Amino acid sequence: MAAKRTMTLNLTDAEMQALDELSVRKDITKTAVLRQALRLYQTIDARVERGEKLLFENEETKEKAELMLL
Amino acid sequence: MTVEVSRIYLLDVATGASIDAELRDGIEQEQLDDWRTKWQPALAVVLQELAGRGVPISQWPQSWHWNWDQKSARVQGLLSYRGLCVVAQGETQGLAQIDLTKSCQESRQAGRPLVYLDYLEVAPWNRREIQRPTRFRGVGTALLSAAVQLSLDEGFKGRLGLHSLPQADDFYRGMGMTDLGPDSNYQGLRYFEMTADHARAFLDEED
Amino acid sequence: MKLQRSREWWLARARREGDAAIGAGMSALDPLPEAKPTGATGMNVEEARIAFGKFVNLMRRRKGLTIEELAKEADLDVSDLLVIEDHIEYTPDPRTIYKLAQTFDVSQQRLMQLAGLVVANDVGFRLEAVRFAARSEAVEKLNVEEASALEAFIGVLSEREPQRSK
Repeated sequence: MAAKRTMTLNLTDAEMQALDELSVRKDITKTAVLRQALRLYQTIDARVERGEKLLFENEETKEKAELMLL
Repeated sequence: MTVEVSRIYLLDVATGASIDAELRDGIEQEQLDDWRTKWQPALAVVLQELAGRGVPISQWPQSWHWNWDQKSARVQGLLSYRGLCVVAQGETQGLAQIDLTKSCQESRQAGRPLVYLDYLEVAPWNRREIQRPTRFRGVGTALLSAAVQLSLDEGFKGRLGLHSLPQADDFYRGMGMTDLGPDSNYQGLRYFEMTADHARAFLDEED
Repeated sequence: MKLQRSREWWLARARREGDAAIGAGMSALDPLPEAKPTGATGMNVEEARIAFGKFVNLMRRRKGLTIEELAKEADLDVSDLLVIEDHIEYTPDPRTIYKLAQTFDVSQQRLMQLAGLVVANDVGFRLEAVRFAARSEAVEKLNVEEASALEAFIGVLSEREPQRSK
Protein backbone atom coordinates (compact mmCIF):
# COMPACT_ATOMS: atom_id res chain seq x y z
CA MET A 1 0.00 0.00 0.00
CA ALA A 2 1.19 3.53 -0.72
CA ALA A 3 2.79 5.39 2.18
CA LYS A 4 0.24 7.26 4.29
CA ARG A 5 0.36 10.21 6.64
CA THR A 6 -1.76 10.70 9.71
CA MET A 7 -3.71 13.85 10.50
CA THR A 8 -5.92 14.79 13.40
CA LEU A 9 -9.50 15.66 12.58
CA ASN A 10 -11.68 17.85 14.76
CA LEU A 11 -15.33 16.86 14.43
CA THR A 12 -18.44 17.93 16.30
CA ASP A 13 -20.60 15.31 17.99
CA ALA A 14 -23.10 15.49 15.15
CA GLU A 15 -20.37 15.01 12.55
CA MET A 16 -18.90 12.17 14.54
CA GLN A 17 -22.31 10.53 14.72
CA ALA A 18 -22.84 10.88 10.99
CA LEU A 19 -19.43 9.33 10.40
CA ASP A 20 -20.24 6.43 12.74
CA GLU A 21 -23.56 5.80 11.02
CA LEU A 22 -22.08 5.84 7.54
CA SER A 23 -19.29 3.55 8.64
CA VAL A 24 -21.83 0.98 9.91
CA ARG A 25 -24.25 1.33 7.02
CA LYS A 26 -21.57 1.15 4.31
CA ASP A 27 -19.58 -1.55 6.08
CA ILE A 28 -16.31 0.36 5.85
CA THR A 29 -14.01 1.93 8.46
CA LYS A 30 -14.32 5.58 9.41
CA THR A 31 -11.08 6.29 7.58
CA ALA A 32 -12.52 4.59 4.48
CA VAL A 33 -15.66 6.76 4.73
CA LEU A 34 -13.57 9.92 4.72
CA ARG A 35 -11.34 8.74 1.89
CA GLN A 36 -14.43 7.81 -0.14
CA ALA A 37 -15.96 11.22 0.58
CA LEU A 38 -12.79 12.92 -0.71
CA ARG A 39 -12.76 10.78 -3.87
CA LEU A 40 -16.38 11.51 -4.66
CA TYR A 41 -16.02 15.22 -3.96
CA GLN A 42 -12.97 15.45 -6.21
CA THR A 43 -14.66 13.49 -9.01
CA ILE A 44 -17.78 15.64 -8.92
CA ASP A 45 -15.78 18.83 -8.72
CA ALA A 46 -13.69 17.83 -11.75
CA ARG A 47 -16.82 17.21 -13.79
CA VAL A 48 -18.48 20.45 -12.70
CA GLU A 49 -15.26 22.25 -13.66
CA ARG A 50 -15.60 20.71 -17.12
CA GLY A 51 -18.98 22.38 -17.41
CA GLU A 52 -21.20 19.46 -16.41
CA LYS A 53 -24.11 19.60 -13.99
CA LEU A 54 -24.90 17.26 -11.15
CA LEU A 55 -28.53 16.24 -11.21
CA PHE A 56 -30.68 14.05 -9.02
CA GLU A 57 -33.62 12.40 -10.63
CA ASN A 58 -36.60 10.92 -8.85
CA GLU A 59 -36.99 7.49 -10.34
CA GLU A 60 -40.78 7.54 -10.16
CA THR A 61 -41.70 11.11 -11.02
CA LYS A 62 -38.66 11.67 -13.30
CA GLU A 63 -38.41 15.03 -11.57
CA LYS A 64 -34.92 16.47 -11.72
CA ALA A 65 -33.31 18.63 -9.08
CA GLU A 66 -29.95 20.28 -9.53
CA LEU A 67 -27.47 20.05 -6.71
CA MET A 68 -25.51 23.25 -6.37
CA LEU A 69 -21.80 22.83 -5.93
CA LEU A 70 -19.15 25.46 -5.56
CA MET B 1 2.41 8.81 -7.96
CA THR B 2 4.80 5.93 -7.64
CA VAL B 3 3.77 2.59 -9.03
CA GLU B 4 4.06 -0.41 -6.75
CA VAL B 5 5.32 -3.57 -8.37
CA SER B 6 4.52 -7.14 -7.32
CA ARG B 7 6.38 -10.15 -8.69
CA ILE B 8 3.99 -12.63 -10.28
CA TYR B 9 4.29 -15.66 -12.56
CA LEU B 10 2.56 -16.52 -15.82
CA LEU B 11 2.42 -19.77 -17.71
CA ASP B 12 4.09 -19.96 -21.11
CA VAL B 13 1.56 -21.88 -23.20
CA ALA B 14 4.05 -23.28 -25.73
CA THR B 15 6.63 -24.64 -23.27
CA GLY B 16 4.62 -24.94 -20.05
CA ALA B 17 7.38 -22.96 -18.33
CA SER B 18 6.92 -20.37 -15.63
CA ILE B 19 7.49 -16.79 -16.79
CA ASP B 20 8.46 -13.95 -14.46
CA ALA B 21 6.10 -11.02 -14.71
CA GLU B 22 5.27 -7.77 -12.96
CA LEU B 23 1.91 -6.71 -11.61
CA ARG B 24 1.91 -2.91 -11.48
CA ASP B 25 -0.69 -0.70 -9.80
CA GLY B 26 -0.59 2.06 -12.39
CA ILE B 27 -0.76 2.60 -16.12
CA GLU B 28 2.12 4.58 -17.56
CA GLN B 29 3.25 5.85 -20.95
CA GLU B 30 4.91 2.51 -21.78
CA GLN B 31 1.52 0.80 -21.55
CA LEU B 32 -0.20 3.36 -23.77
CA ASP B 33 2.63 2.97 -26.30
CA ASP B 34 2.34 -0.83 -26.23
CA TRP B 35 -1.40 -0.58 -26.66
CA ARG B 36 -1.04 1.62 -29.69
CA THR B 37 1.99 0.07 -31.39
CA LYS B 38 1.54 -3.61 -30.49
CA TRP B 39 -2.05 -4.37 -29.47
CA GLN B 40 -3.81 -2.36 -32.13
CA PRO B 41 -1.91 -3.73 -35.15
CA ALA B 42 -2.38 -7.29 -33.87
CA LEU B 43 -6.12 -6.65 -33.62
CA ALA B 44 -6.39 -5.00 -37.03
CA VAL B 45 -4.97 -8.09 -38.75
CA VAL B 46 -7.54 -10.31 -37.09
CA LEU B 47 -10.43 -7.97 -37.85
CA GLN B 48 -9.58 -7.91 -41.53
CA GLU B 49 -9.51 -11.68 -41.56
CA LEU B 50 -12.82 -11.97 -39.69
CA ALA B 51 -14.48 -9.51 -42.03
CA GLY B 52 -13.09 -11.39 -45.02
CA ARG B 53 -14.54 -14.64 -43.72
CA GLY B 54 -17.90 -12.98 -43.15
CA VAL B 55 -17.90 -13.70 -39.42
CA PRO B 56 -20.85 -11.87 -37.82
CA ILE B 57 -19.91 -8.99 -35.57
CA SER B 58 -21.46 -10.72 -32.55
CA GLN B 59 -18.62 -13.23 -32.69
CA TRP B 60 -15.87 -10.66 -32.88
CA PRO B 61 -13.46 -10.05 -30.03
CA GLN B 62 -15.19 -7.66 -27.74
CA SER B 63 -12.70 -4.99 -26.92
CA TRP B 64 -11.34 -3.92 -30.28
CA HIS B 65 -12.94 -0.51 -30.33
CA TRP B 66 -11.81 0.76 -26.96
CA ASN B 67 -9.75 3.86 -27.02
CA TRP B 68 -7.34 3.56 -24.16
CA ASP B 69 -5.59 6.90 -24.81
CA GLN B 70 -8.77 8.91 -24.40
CA LYS B 71 -9.85 6.84 -21.46
CA SER B 72 -6.73 7.43 -19.43
CA ALA B 73 -6.60 11.13 -20.26
CA ARG B 74 -10.06 11.67 -18.77
CA VAL B 75 -9.16 10.20 -15.38
CA GLN B 76 -5.69 11.68 -14.91
CA GLY B 77 -5.15 12.87 -11.35
CA LEU B 78 -8.50 11.66 -10.05
CA LEU B 79 -8.45 9.57 -6.87
CA SER B 80 -11.51 7.60 -7.96
CA TYR B 81 -9.77 5.83 -10.81
CA ARG B 82 -6.84 3.43 -10.67
CA GLY B 83 -4.94 1.60 -13.34
CA LEU B 84 -3.43 -1.87 -13.21
CA CYS B 85 -1.25 -3.74 -15.65
CA VAL B 86 0.76 -6.91 -16.13
CA VAL B 87 4.15 -6.66 -17.84
CA ALA B 88 6.25 -9.61 -19.01
CA GLN B 89 9.24 -9.82 -21.35
CA GLY B 90 9.17 -6.05 -21.74
CA GLU B 91 5.61 -5.95 -23.06
CA THR B 92 2.24 -5.04 -21.61
CA GLN B 93 0.26 -8.27 -21.30
CA GLY B 94 -2.94 -6.92 -19.82
CA LEU B 95 -4.60 -3.67 -18.71
CA ALA B 96 -7.34 -2.82 -16.25
CA GLN B 97 -8.99 0.29 -14.91
CA ILE B 98 -10.88 0.59 -11.66
CA ASP B 99 -13.61 2.97 -10.58
CA LEU B 100 -14.02 3.50 -6.84
CA THR B 101 -17.21 5.58 -6.92
CA LYS B 102 -19.72 2.74 -7.34
CA SER B 103 -21.83 0.70 -4.93
CA CYS B 104 -22.91 -2.92 -4.65
CA GLN B 105 -26.18 -4.23 -6.10
CA GLU B 106 -26.19 -7.76 -4.74
CA SER B 107 -28.89 -7.95 -2.04
CA ARG B 108 -26.59 -9.01 0.79
CA GLN B 109 -24.26 -6.06 0.28
CA ALA B 110 -26.40 -3.53 -1.63
CA GLY B 111 -25.33 0.09 -1.28
CA ARG B 112 -21.88 -0.66 0.10
CA PRO B 113 -18.88 0.68 -1.79
CA LEU B 114 -17.01 -1.70 -4.05
CA VAL B 115 -14.21 -1.82 -6.57
CA TYR B 116 -15.84 -1.60 -9.98
CA LEU B 117 -13.73 -3.07 -12.75
CA ASP B 118 -14.48 -0.54 -15.44
CA TYR B 119 -12.20 -2.15 -17.99
CA LEU B 120 -10.14 -5.30 -18.26
CA GLU B 121 -8.38 -6.37 -21.42
CA VAL B 122 -5.71 -8.94 -22.11
CA ALA B 123 -3.16 -8.44 -24.92
CA PRO B 124 -4.35 -9.87 -28.27
CA TRP B 125 -1.61 -12.52 -28.35
CA ASN B 126 -2.88 -13.95 -25.05
CA ARG B 127 -6.44 -14.35 -26.29
CA ARG B 128 -7.52 -17.61 -27.82
CA GLU B 129 -10.15 -16.08 -30.10
CA ILE B 130 -7.36 -14.06 -31.69
CA GLN B 131 -4.22 -16.13 -31.58
CA ARG B 132 -3.71 -19.88 -31.30
CA PRO B 133 -1.77 -21.00 -29.48
CA THR B 134 -1.76 -18.07 -27.10
CA ARG B 135 1.47 -16.89 -25.48
CA PHE B 136 0.75 -16.55 -21.76
CA ARG B 137 -1.87 -17.79 -19.38
CA GLY B 138 -2.84 -16.14 -16.11
CA VAL B 139 -2.89 -12.47 -17.16
CA GLY B 140 -6.65 -11.99 -16.71
CA THR B 141 -6.68 -13.82 -13.39
CA ALA B 142 -3.75 -11.70 -12.18
CA LEU B 143 -5.56 -8.44 -12.99
CA LEU B 144 -8.69 -9.71 -11.29
CA SER B 145 -6.71 -10.79 -8.21
CA ALA B 146 -5.11 -7.36 -8.07
CA ALA B 147 -8.53 -5.69 -8.20
CA VAL B 148 -9.73 -7.83 -5.28
CA GLN B 149 -6.57 -7.00 -3.29
CA LEU B 150 -7.16 -3.32 -4.01
CA SER B 151 -10.68 -3.68 -2.66
CA LEU B 152 -9.25 -5.15 0.55
CA ASP B 153 -6.65 -2.36 0.78
CA GLU B 154 -9.37 0.28 0.41
CA GLY B 155 -11.37 -1.26 3.23
CA PHE B 156 -14.05 -2.56 0.81
CA LYS B 157 -13.50 -6.12 2.03
CA GLY B 158 -12.85 -7.52 -1.42
CA ARG B 159 -16.24 -6.51 -2.83
CA LEU B 160 -15.95 -6.21 -6.60
CA GLY B 161 -18.30 -5.64 -9.52
CA LEU B 162 -17.90 -5.83 -13.28
CA HIS B 163 -19.79 -6.06 -16.54
CA SER B 164 -18.56 -9.22 -18.18
CA LEU B 165 -17.83 -9.62 -21.85
CA PRO B 166 -19.95 -12.49 -23.19
CA GLN B 167 -16.96 -14.82 -23.69
CA ALA B 168 -15.97 -14.33 -20.06
CA ASP B 169 -19.36 -15.06 -18.43
CA ASP B 170 -18.52 -18.68 -17.67
CA PHE B 171 -15.19 -17.78 -16.16
CA TYR B 172 -16.74 -15.34 -13.66
CA ARG B 173 -19.48 -17.81 -12.83
CA GLY B 174 -16.89 -20.53 -12.35
CA MET B 175 -14.98 -18.50 -9.82
CA GLY B 176 -18.10 -18.01 -7.75
CA MET B 177 -19.16 -14.48 -8.58
CA THR B 178 -22.86 -13.73 -8.38
CA ASP B 179 -24.52 -13.30 -11.78
CA LEU B 180 -27.03 -10.46 -11.57
CA GLY B 181 -28.10 -10.83 -15.19
CA PRO B 182 -27.90 -8.66 -18.30
CA ASP B 183 -27.80 -4.91 -17.74
CA SER B 184 -29.74 -2.92 -20.31
CA ASN B 185 -27.70 0.18 -19.47
CA TYR B 186 -24.54 -1.60 -20.53
CA GLN B 187 -25.48 -2.98 -23.94
CA GLY B 188 -26.89 -6.07 -22.28
CA LEU B 189 -23.59 -7.13 -20.70
CA ARG B 190 -24.11 -9.31 -17.63
CA TYR B 191 -23.28 -7.74 -14.29
CA PHE B 192 -21.30 -9.88 -11.85
CA GLU B 193 -20.47 -9.17 -8.26
CA MET B 194 -18.06 -10.67 -5.78
CA THR B 195 -19.06 -10.72 -2.13
CA ALA B 196 -16.65 -10.33 0.77
CA ASP B 197 -16.79 -14.11 1.32
CA HIS B 198 -16.05 -14.90 -2.32
CA ALA B 199 -13.14 -12.50 -2.19
CA ARG B 200 -11.61 -14.17 0.84
CA ALA B 201 -11.79 -17.56 -0.82
CA PHE B 202 -10.49 -16.20 -4.09
CA LEU B 203 -7.36 -14.67 -2.60
CA ASP B 204 -6.77 -17.50 -0.15
CA GLU B 205 -3.08 -18.25 0.34
CA GLU B 206 -3.74 -21.98 0.32
CA ASP B 207 -4.30 -23.77 -2.89
CA MET C 1 -1.31 -2.29 -3.96
CA LYS C 2 1.01 -5.21 -3.34
CA LEU C 3 0.04 -8.82 -3.89
CA GLN C 4 2.53 -11.41 -2.76
CA ARG C 5 1.93 -15.07 -3.45
CA SER C 6 4.17 -18.00 -4.27
CA ARG C 7 5.12 -19.07 -7.77
CA GLU C 8 2.95 -22.18 -7.27
CA TRP C 9 -0.04 -20.04 -6.31
CA TRP C 10 0.22 -18.02 -9.53
CA LEU C 11 0.86 -21.00 -11.79
CA ALA C 12 -2.06 -22.96 -10.33
CA ARG C 13 -4.33 -20.03 -11.13
CA ALA C 14 -2.90 -19.66 -14.61
CA ARG C 15 -3.63 -23.34 -15.25
CA ARG C 16 -7.15 -22.96 -13.90
CA GLU C 17 -7.69 -20.01 -16.23
CA GLY C 18 -6.92 -22.25 -19.21
CA ASP C 19 -8.18 -20.78 -22.45
CA ALA C 20 -10.84 -18.62 -20.83
CA ALA C 21 -11.19 -15.21 -22.46
CA ILE C 22 -11.25 -12.75 -19.59
CA GLY C 23 -12.45 -9.23 -20.16
CA ALA C 24 -14.77 -6.66 -18.61
CA GLY C 25 -16.30 -3.25 -19.15
CA MET C 26 -18.27 -1.46 -21.81
CA SER C 27 -16.75 0.35 -24.73
CA ALA C 28 -17.29 3.61 -22.87
CA LEU C 29 -14.68 6.22 -23.65
CA ASP C 30 -15.51 7.93 -20.39
CA PRO C 31 -15.22 6.06 -17.10
CA LEU C 32 -18.59 7.46 -16.07
CA PRO C 33 -20.96 6.37 -18.83
CA GLU C 34 -22.43 9.29 -20.68
CA ALA C 35 -25.63 9.36 -22.66
CA LYS C 36 -25.15 7.48 -25.91
CA PRO C 37 -26.92 8.62 -29.06
CA THR C 38 -30.01 6.50 -29.43
CA GLY C 39 -31.00 4.87 -32.66
CA ALA C 40 -33.14 6.80 -35.07
CA THR C 41 -36.86 6.29 -34.60
CA GLY C 42 -38.32 8.05 -37.64
CA MET C 43 -36.40 5.83 -40.03
CA ASN C 44 -35.89 2.14 -39.57
CA VAL C 45 -32.30 1.92 -38.39
CA GLU C 46 -31.68 -1.33 -40.17
CA GLU C 47 -32.85 -0.01 -43.52
CA ALA C 48 -30.78 3.10 -43.09
CA ARG C 49 -27.69 1.17 -42.09
CA ILE C 50 -27.90 -1.08 -45.13
CA ALA C 51 -28.00 2.03 -47.28
CA PHE C 52 -25.17 3.57 -45.26
CA GLY C 53 -22.92 0.52 -45.63
CA LYS C 54 -23.61 0.30 -49.35
CA PHE C 55 -23.06 3.97 -49.83
CA VAL C 56 -19.63 3.84 -48.20
CA ASN C 57 -18.76 0.72 -50.18
CA LEU C 58 -19.77 2.20 -53.54
CA MET C 59 -18.20 5.57 -52.90
CA ARG C 60 -14.95 3.90 -51.97
CA ARG C 61 -14.99 1.77 -55.11
CA ARG C 62 -15.92 4.73 -57.27
CA LYS C 63 -12.77 6.38 -56.00
CA GLY C 64 -10.91 3.18 -56.78
CA LEU C 65 -9.70 2.81 -53.21
CA THR C 66 -9.11 -0.22 -51.03
CA ILE C 67 -10.42 -0.09 -47.48
CA GLU C 68 -6.91 0.60 -46.28
CA GLU C 69 -6.46 3.48 -48.70
CA LEU C 70 -9.77 5.02 -47.74
CA ALA C 71 -8.88 4.66 -44.06
CA LYS C 72 -5.71 6.58 -44.75
CA GLU C 73 -7.40 9.28 -46.78
CA ALA C 74 -10.21 9.83 -44.29
CA ASP C 75 -7.95 9.37 -41.26
CA LEU C 76 -10.06 6.52 -39.93
CA ASP C 77 -9.39 3.05 -38.55
CA VAL C 78 -9.44 0.18 -41.01
CA SER C 79 -11.52 -1.77 -38.49
CA ASP C 80 -14.18 0.96 -38.46
CA LEU C 81 -14.57 0.92 -42.23
CA LEU C 82 -14.70 -2.86 -42.35
CA VAL C 83 -17.68 -3.01 -40.01
CA ILE C 84 -19.44 -0.06 -41.56
CA GLU C 85 -19.51 -1.70 -44.97
CA ASP C 86 -20.58 -5.13 -43.80
CA HIS C 87 -22.38 -4.99 -40.49
CA ILE C 88 -25.64 -3.15 -40.10
CA GLU C 89 -25.69 -3.66 -36.34
CA TYR C 90 -22.64 -1.46 -35.87
CA THR C 91 -23.18 2.15 -34.80
CA PRO C 92 -20.34 4.35 -36.05
CA ASP C 93 -19.29 7.28 -33.91
CA PRO C 94 -19.92 10.90 -34.96
CA ARG C 95 -16.25 11.56 -35.74
CA THR C 96 -16.26 8.74 -38.29
CA ILE C 97 -19.33 10.21 -39.97
CA TYR C 98 -17.76 13.63 -39.99
CA LYS C 99 -14.63 12.30 -41.68
CA LEU C 100 -16.60 10.31 -44.24
CA ALA C 101 -18.85 13.26 -45.07
CA GLN C 102 -15.73 15.35 -45.65
CA THR C 103 -14.05 12.72 -47.78
CA PHE C 104 -17.12 12.02 -49.91
CA ASP C 105 -18.20 15.67 -49.92
CA VAL C 106 -21.79 15.05 -48.81
CA SER C 107 -23.93 16.50 -46.03
CA GLN C 108 -22.76 15.42 -42.60
CA GLN C 109 -26.29 15.73 -41.23
CA ARG C 110 -27.66 13.42 -43.92
CA LEU C 111 -24.92 10.89 -43.35
CA MET C 112 -25.66 10.96 -39.59
CA GLN C 113 -29.28 10.13 -40.39
CA LEU C 114 -28.23 7.35 -42.68
CA ALA C 115 -25.99 5.89 -39.98
CA GLY C 116 -28.90 5.98 -37.55
CA LEU C 117 -27.28 8.49 -35.22
CA VAL C 118 -29.95 11.13 -35.61
CA VAL C 119 -33.54 11.09 -36.76
CA ALA C 120 -34.51 12.15 -40.26
CA ASN C 121 -37.66 14.23 -40.31
CA ASP C 122 -38.68 13.75 -43.90
CA VAL C 123 -40.21 10.62 -45.34
CA GLY C 124 -38.77 11.35 -48.77
CA PHE C 125 -35.24 10.82 -47.57
CA ARG C 126 -36.12 7.53 -45.98
CA LEU C 127 -37.64 6.29 -49.21
CA GLU C 128 -34.61 7.38 -51.19
CA ALA C 129 -32.34 5.52 -48.80
CA VAL C 130 -34.35 2.32 -49.04
CA ARG C 131 -34.55 2.56 -52.80
CA PHE C 132 -30.81 3.08 -53.00
CA ALA C 133 -30.11 0.12 -50.75
CA ALA C 134 -32.36 -2.12 -52.80
CA ARG C 135 -30.81 -1.15 -56.10
CA SER C 136 -27.12 -1.40 -55.37
CA GLU C 137 -25.49 -4.78 -55.42
CA ALA C 138 -22.07 -5.34 -53.97
CA VAL C 139 -20.09 -6.49 -57.01
CA GLU C 140 -16.48 -6.04 -57.92
CA LYS C 141 -16.81 -3.15 -60.34
CA LEU C 142 -19.41 -0.46 -60.38
CA ASN C 143 -21.74 -1.18 -63.25
CA VAL C 144 -23.63 1.54 -65.08
CA GLU C 145 -26.78 1.07 -63.04
CA GLU C 146 -24.93 1.19 -59.77
CA ALA C 147 -23.06 4.24 -60.87
CA SER C 148 -26.26 6.09 -61.76
CA ALA C 149 -28.01 4.96 -58.57
CA LEU C 150 -25.03 6.27 -56.66
CA GLU C 151 -24.99 9.58 -58.51
CA ALA C 152 -28.67 10.11 -57.80
CA PHE C 153 -28.22 9.27 -54.14
CA ILE C 154 -25.26 11.62 -53.77
CA GLY C 155 -27.62 14.31 -54.95
CA VAL C 156 -30.08 13.40 -52.21
CA LEU C 157 -27.34 13.28 -49.60
CA SER C 158 -26.07 16.69 -50.54
CA GLU C 159 -29.45 18.33 -50.06
CA ARG C 160 -30.39 19.88 -46.80
CA GLU C 161 -33.21 18.59 -44.70
CA PRO C 162 -36.46 20.58 -45.05
CA GLN C 163 -37.08 22.93 -42.14
CA ARG C 164 -39.06 21.34 -39.32
CA SER C 165 -42.56 22.86 -39.35
CA LYS C 166 -43.43 24.50 -36.08
